[in-house]
Amino acid sequence: MSKYSNPMSRQVESLPELIRSQYEDLEPKARTVLSFQEIFNIQRIVLTGCGDSYAAAMATKHAFEMLTGIPTEVVTALELGRFYCKKHLGIDCRNPLVIAVSNSGTGARVAEAVERARKHGCFVLGVTGNPESLLGVNSDKILKLDIPSFESAPGTRSYMVSVLSLLLLAIRFGEVRLKYTMDQAMAYREDIKRQADALESLLPGMEDTCASVAEQWKDFPCYDFIGAGFDYATAWFGQAKILEATGKFAMHINTEEWFHLNFFARDAREMGTVVVANTTNPAHSRSRELVKYANVLHRPLVVITDGDKEDFGGEEAVYIKVPKTEYPITMPLTHFAPVCLIASYISELIGEKYGRGCEGDWSFAQGGAGVTNSEIIVD
Amino acid sequence: MLKNFKITTKFNEVHDITESVKKAVEESGVKEGTCVVYNPHSTAGLTVFSPWDPDGFIDLDQEICRLIPTRVDFKHQHDTPQDAAGHVKCALLGISLTFIITEGKLLLGGSQGIYFLEFDGPRNREFFVKIQSD
Repeated sequence: MSKYSNPMSRQVESLPELIRSQYEDLEPKARTVLSFQEIFNIQRIVLTGCGDSYAAAMATKHAFEMLTGIPTEVVTALELGRFYCKKHLGIDCRNPLVIAVSNSGTGARVAEAVERARKHGCFVLGVTGNPESLLGVNSDKILKLDIPSFESAPGTRSYMVSVLSLLLLAIRFGEVRLKYTMDQAMAYREDIKRQADALESLLPGMEDTCASVAEQWKDFPCYDFIGAGFDYATAWFGQAKILEATGKFAMHINTEEWFHLNFFARDAREMGTVVVANTTNPAHSRSRELVKYANVLHRPLVVITDGDKEDFGGEEAVYIKVPKTEYPITMPLTHFAPVCLIASYISELIGEKYGRGCEGDWSFAQGGAGVTNSEIIVD
Repeated sequence: MLKNFKITTKFNEVHDITESVKKAVEESGVKEGTCVVYNPHSTAGLTVFSPWDPDGFIDLDQEICRLIPTRVDFKHQHDTPQDAAGHVKCALLGISLTFIITEGKLLLGGSQGIYFLEFDGPRNREFFVKIQSD
């Protein structure tokens, strides 16, 4: 346990056991939530959610497409509820399949999105711990989450469970549609389970490194998170955790766009820069180039990777090792752990309350009111 | 004597195990007796079939699939449609065969081969040969 231990870092420490227990809970549920007929009926998939759930959708979009061959979009709840073209909803007998993720199920935008999707003929699968919620009652089927309660902190455990549930659905869809054998499907599932042990063994060193980074970065005014593909989802999640845990400015951008935009930022020496760059990522060559130029700019630099310094041309950086998986699609399950630790330790070091404690100017957001108390308009 | 054989099958393969069974009988030293070939799986079968025309194997596979097509409305939905169909095929085709051993050899007709029928695959499979003397 780190010297800066706090509820959020303790959530990270609980992840290995949570992976084990949630796999046992969710694998049978993901196997049976949709029938063969419903799985064979899928022509397109829309993944939707808000906040961390949106990040979980981004983290698994490629897994859905790679495993099932089904075109898959990630659409924010606001886009799906207010902008998504009606003529593309309810086509080809209840398509697309809309998979909406929200553990609480109480967010107004997700409820609005699924109600609209259903109204126009989509099939809705809700991934939620609250079947009585607006998301639950507006879903055709529910993958019921049962996440054991824990000390409250910016979503860490719930994010892992969201990613896990979506990965298990993607594996199941591909298995049933005979994209690979049942043995191969089990190999994907075993790869998920193995990450519990892998993360557990890496956590002590990861905590020490993240604590050291937090000490050096705690007074920075801004942080920059960069990644590509499913690593971009981890980067996006990292900036979210910095905002929630520390209240400081944070940016997220994909690896190519960084060269078009974020590298222009001044005060680079005080901009904590986190590159999520796994060695099997198709954009790894661009990540290598980015790490090189981030050093030219004297950016304080962390690289989260399953590789090491040699994979980045020997460039100087703080390299944080995350589990190496057999199949790249399962990496998002644990690769966010370091960003949560860094955010949580900075929060602890500067004495900042998570979510500003919903006090003072932030009191309107008490109990999640900022996202639940919102007019629902279904067009 | 009980002997175990490991095989790796292909998708819906008709896998020839005749020589393995014949050899097991000859190596057993049993002159007169019986030989049971047993498959411990629930999505694979065993049968005797003519080996002479390779297209016959295609007929066999296609006729089995015509009788029990892979459908999405099987009630058993725990695994895959292919798996659900495989269970039914296995139940109908059977998982064991019995042969006569005489003069130290397997009594098999000239147009008879022994085949392991894969109803899923590719899979790592096994089968057993039990040899008993009279």
